[in-house]
Amino acid sequence: MKESRREFLIKSSCALTMTALATQMRHFGLMSAMAQKVDEQTTDSAVPSDYRAMVCIFLAGGNDSNNMVIPNHSDATISNYQTYFNARNTQGLALAQASLLPIAVPRMGGLAYGLHPSFGTVAGGTNPGIHPLWADGKLAVVTNVGTLVRPTTKAQYQTASHPKPYQLYSHSDQVNQFQGGRSDTQTFTGWGGRISDLRTVPDNPNDLIPMITSIAGAQLFTAGQTTLPLAIANAGTSLSAVLNPAGFNTTAASQARLSAFNDLRGMDLDSSVVQAASNVTNQAIAANASLQTFQEVTTAFPTSGIGQQLKQIARLIKKRGDLGVNRQIFFAQIGGFDTHNLQINNQATLLGQLSQAMRAFYDEMVLLGLGDKVTQFTMSDFNRTFNPASSGANVGSDHAWGGHHFVLGGGITASDFYGIATASNGTPFPTMTFNGPDDADSGTGARGRWIPTTSIEQYAATLSRWYGLPDADLPTVFPKIANFTNTNLGFMQPPAV
Amino acid sequence: MVDRKSCLLLKFLSAGLAVFLLFFPVLAQDVDDPNPDSPTPVLLSAPDSTRALTALPSKMTRGSRFKSEPTAFALDSQITLYVTNVELMKDEGASAFRLYAEDSRGRMYRFPVLDFQPVKGFDGVYALTVKVRDEIGFWQQPSENGDILVNVTWRGLTSNRVKLGLGKTGGDLKDEAGATPTPLSGVPYNKSSQTPTSEAVGYRWSGDRIRFLEQATFGPTPALDNRIRRIGLRTWLTEQFEMPYPSVANPYPDIPLKPTTAPTDCDNNQTIPDVPVTCARDVYSMYLPQTWFYKEALYGDPQLRHRVSWALSQVWVISGVDTQQSSWLVAYHQQLSKNAFGNWRQLMYDVTMNPAMGNYLDMIRSTRTNPNENYPREILQLFNVGLFMLNQDGTLQRDGQGNPIETYTQNDINNFTKVFTGWRDCNIAASCPNLVQGSGAPDYKDPMLLNPNNHDLTAKTLLAYPGSTTTNIAACTGCTGAAITNYANNSVNQALDNIYNHPNVAPFASKLLIQHLVTSDPTPAYVGRVAAVFNANRTNGAQLKEVVKAILLDPEARGNIKTDPTYGKLREPVQLMTNLYRQLGVTSADGAGLSDGDINRFPSGLAQNAFNAPTVFNYYPPDYVVPGTSLLGPEFAIFNTGTAIGRANLGNSLIFGQINVALPNTPNGTRLYLAELQAIAAADTTSNQLLDVLNQRLMHGRMSSQMRARIITATNAVASTTPLARAQAALYLVFTSSQYQVQR
Repeated sequence: MKESRREFLIKSSCALTMTALATQMRHFGLMSAMAQKVDEQTTDSAVPSDYRAMVCIFLAGGNDSNNMVIPNHSDATISNYQTYFNARNTQGLALAQASLLPIAVPRMGGLAYGLHPSFGTVAGGTNPGIHPLWADGKLAVVTNVGTLVRPTTKAQYQTASHPKPYQLYSHSDQVNQFQGGRSDTQTFTGWGGRISDLRTVPDNPNDLIPMITSIAGAQLFTAGQTTLPLAIANAGTSLSAVLNPAGFNTTAASQARLSAFNDLRGMDLDSSVVQAASNVTNQAIAANASLQTFQEVTTAFPTSGIGQQLKQIARLIKKRGDLGVNRQIFFAQIGGFDTHNLQINNQATLLGQLSQAMRAFYDEMVLLGLGDKVTQFTMSDFNRTFNPASSGANVGSDHAWGGHHFVLGGGITASDFYGIATASNGTPFPTMTFNGPDDADSGTGARGRWIPTTSIEQYAATLSRWYGLPDADLPTVFPKIANFTNTNLGFMQPPAV
Repeated sequence: MVDRKSCLLLKFLSAGLAVFLLFFPVLAQDVDDPNPDSPTPVLLSAPDSTRALTALPSKMTRGSRFKSEPTAFALDSQITLYVTNVELMKDEGASAFRLYAEDSRGRMYRFPVLDFQPVKGFDGVYALTVKVRDEIGFWQQPSENGDILVNVTWRGLTSNRVKLGLGKTGGDLKDEAGATPTPLSGVPYNKSSQTPTSEAVGYRWSGDRIRFLEQATFGPTPALDNRIRRIGLRTWLTEQFEMPYPSVANPYPDIPLKPTTAPTDCDNNQTIPDVPVTCARDVYSMYLPQTWFYKEALYGDPQLRHRVSWALSQVWVISGVDTQQSSWLVAYHQQLSKNAFGNWRQLMYDVTMNPAMGNYLDMIRSTRTNPNENYPREILQLFNVGLFMLNQDGTLQRDGQGNPIETYTQNDINNFTKVFTGWRDCNIAASCPNLVQGSGAPDYKDPMLLNPNNHDLTAKTLLAYPGSTTTNIAACTGCTGAAITNYANNSVNQALDNIYNHPNVAPFASKLLIQHLVTSDPTPAYVGRVAAVFNANRTNGAQLKEVVKAILLDPEARGNIKTDPTYGKLREPVQLMTNLYRQLGVTSADGAGLSDGDINRFPSGLAQNAFNAPTVFNYYPPDYVVPGTSLLGPEFAIFNTGTAIGRANLGNSLIFGQINVALPNTPNGTRLYLAELQAIAAADTTSNQLLDVLNQRLMHGRMSSQMRARIITATNAVASTTPLARAQAALYLVFTSSQYQVQR
């Protein structure tokens, strides 16, 4: 019979002396196992009958989504390709219209938009990229998403009393708001972590690993109050080795050392810092045993960092039955998007890696019969200035605000643009005019920092509801959600019944 | 007997020492170092229970049975607790104390200390006023459903824990085992509960010597420990401040500048392979600075400057990730180390004009018509001022609504951006000694020069803050040529002065340096003391020398024993490795020579790839809060399930393995010196001596008896006929323990 993670943690602490146990009981990780049942009762306790997972891909550094989703039409009533070209071509940041990968967008009256050419076939690629999935109805774009405390117009933005996200345009703070799921104040937990706090016990009662796994370190998104993420290396390391203490064998002496290695973590917990370190190591050891066997994925994944991260996630999903998990949240990251310079080449490379990796992952999920059960979505620090920074071969762009994001998987409703329409043009795509109605900047030096029309809470809540977070729990996970009327942007199918 | 390893070390050190003694023959005098130990604070309880004393009798009547009724307190109430057995310095008060609380669910809270005053008529007793409200916010506020346990911490020491009723008394929380009442009638308590080891001369406190060397170097060595025992901390610091850097035996790598479009033919002689074959590695990768850095860390004499430069490189971050050539990074590190004991304002200028930073944060390509906000933003946010207004002790200032106050706006960034436009790589032979004209290699070593055509000549507004003086730079109307250059240079200096004079800089810089050297979550009092030294030396060319001295000699840093549960820092991967290597000794793979320094693979696998920080935010952020706690713990940001096991596996690699010779990158290899521990294990089959040595060298002599007994059992499970295996087993268990991973 399989032993759940809670049983393991409780059992392993029983091996300790009673004094150590008493201390260990106060120990964060173990507390989480038990406290959840008493403290964090959630509103819905039926164990799900299907499997679902959300895969967050963080584009670290602030992706210039102005060059990711581009108007490819000449409709003069809204921002069109010429608007884009005029703003970016002089300095060398405009992509040629012929290079754009066309998508037809129902929400925009069927007008053509274009994806960055890296989302198609790329040199050295192993698959056709994610662009073809638009036509298949598996790829959605949520436009002009960003950090907001309340819906904000330009006039409100210019009003001192209107609440605004703290420290706009600062990497660390905007990352924390995206990952933390609120923009009015700093938080110690992320929205993925808070879902995990609430849903681990009802959804994964027989889990052998935590609800959240990160292949990119334990970042804020993954941190809950009572749950810690599993953080492991990418597929360059076999699952059986990611958490395995090396150098032990079956001799008595070796086993005695291993047993002492484990026991020491139950001692000297009067130091909070020592205790915190021991707790993380305990989580690792608890998960290690369940990762010793796995089946390799079928699809060829790219060798890029993001490719290997998604491959490791695919391995875990393939083994979901063994791990006793019905709901999982994953976190992966691709860095290098802080393109203050050399953007043309660098962003093309990164988006190519992203597209190849997302496509390989999607293909693998389809092979596993989970095409509609696993949803990939992007987040990023912020969008970048529409006005380029520097020029020529060095051209880049600076920190800005609202940007576009991808949602990929069979769980979406249809390939389209989603998000709240801007008052300036009645569509969810911003009016790309310097010092215009959607530009937070004013005056002659305005650089095009779009005021988001859709908050990260609205974006995340739509995903979370599909995942199975009950509506009643939305305010716990997203404390400022009440500031936004529409908490379902419609890009995801309904939750499982 | 002098063993082989010490001989090697001696040879390496003597080269540097000889030069040093030549120039500074009379500096090494014994300076009397005071006893580093502060007394352990005592929280007073009721006479007959461990319930907190929250009111005093009307007058001190010794021996009388003053009885306090069990009282409960509401959330948000102000209460007074009574503390004794402390000795305060001038100006030391509330900000030196922290009050931690734990509830029956094991959750940890910190209550703000509002006041700390001596109590009239009660000699040695202080009234500590706190608000019953968690000030960290990791958890929701504690429930008013019974007793919580509170303790006060001061200078890295904790008091006993006493019970406090929250909402009501009683509940699930039990006293700690062995807790006894600490009644008022017991005052005065022992001034010091610690018994320093009795050694005749010099700095006698063996636990604190090790602690000091962990803070000031890349790891204690027996030789350094002896030296400090003999000459004391202050004399050693003086020696370090004056010592040439880097070690004579380990000069900075001298790497030529090459074209920025990396040619396939690195040596440019039109034939393949390159001569040497390592040309591309040496020029375009961080291999040389990394191996140089580790050799200096493992063997170098000027440890303190190396350590402080390393700390500065994690504040003023550039990274090999976006720095194309190692020569650029070396020139940058030279600026940092030159200023490590210098003046912060000079450091600001040198870094601002450095082309590697110019490249990394884009100032080198920011122009009047296409400005770039990267450097202007980070010189404020990450390097000097931070996002919010600070008090001089590093705590946040708050407005009337209790919100933090932002230090600058996007408009300020825009203005600073204008100031920093127009600089380019050094391109005039007369001003650029490193420029080789016609080589096709731009000069990324010498300070940047202005291209007057690209500088913004419009007016700028600088930061306005309490005490700010000049906040405007007038437009340069009708300026041309040299007038623009003068104007631009003046503007940059005005802008840097404007930043340097911001009241945040002293606490901001001081706290970061404390975090890198001593402890992750220093008290405001500690930050305030160091910031005061920073401010008192604003125009001193040796300002940072005074700051570093203040950090390392502060009573919160010093002490033979530290008991505060929140004290210390998780060892960062680089220092985790170098501390072990230095404490036991490290040689080449064959044991006959020195390590080649090609050891970055280890910390790199633990999310700390030296000189290749992932972003300008360094490997970990200074404000990271340890999950589940109320503690700052920057290094915990790269400590997760994967890297936790990675650290254990680092121990396995270092202790049971070695790095073998592999040409061309690993000419010598690296091996931990274990013969000494092996001999000790052989001499004493009970393993007691082995544990004594490990305890003294790695754990400040504070290993718990429980831990010691557990390790001895496991060690003795290894056959006594294999003493090396015993030494390895014991060392592995100490090194991989959380108790060691956290430097306390």
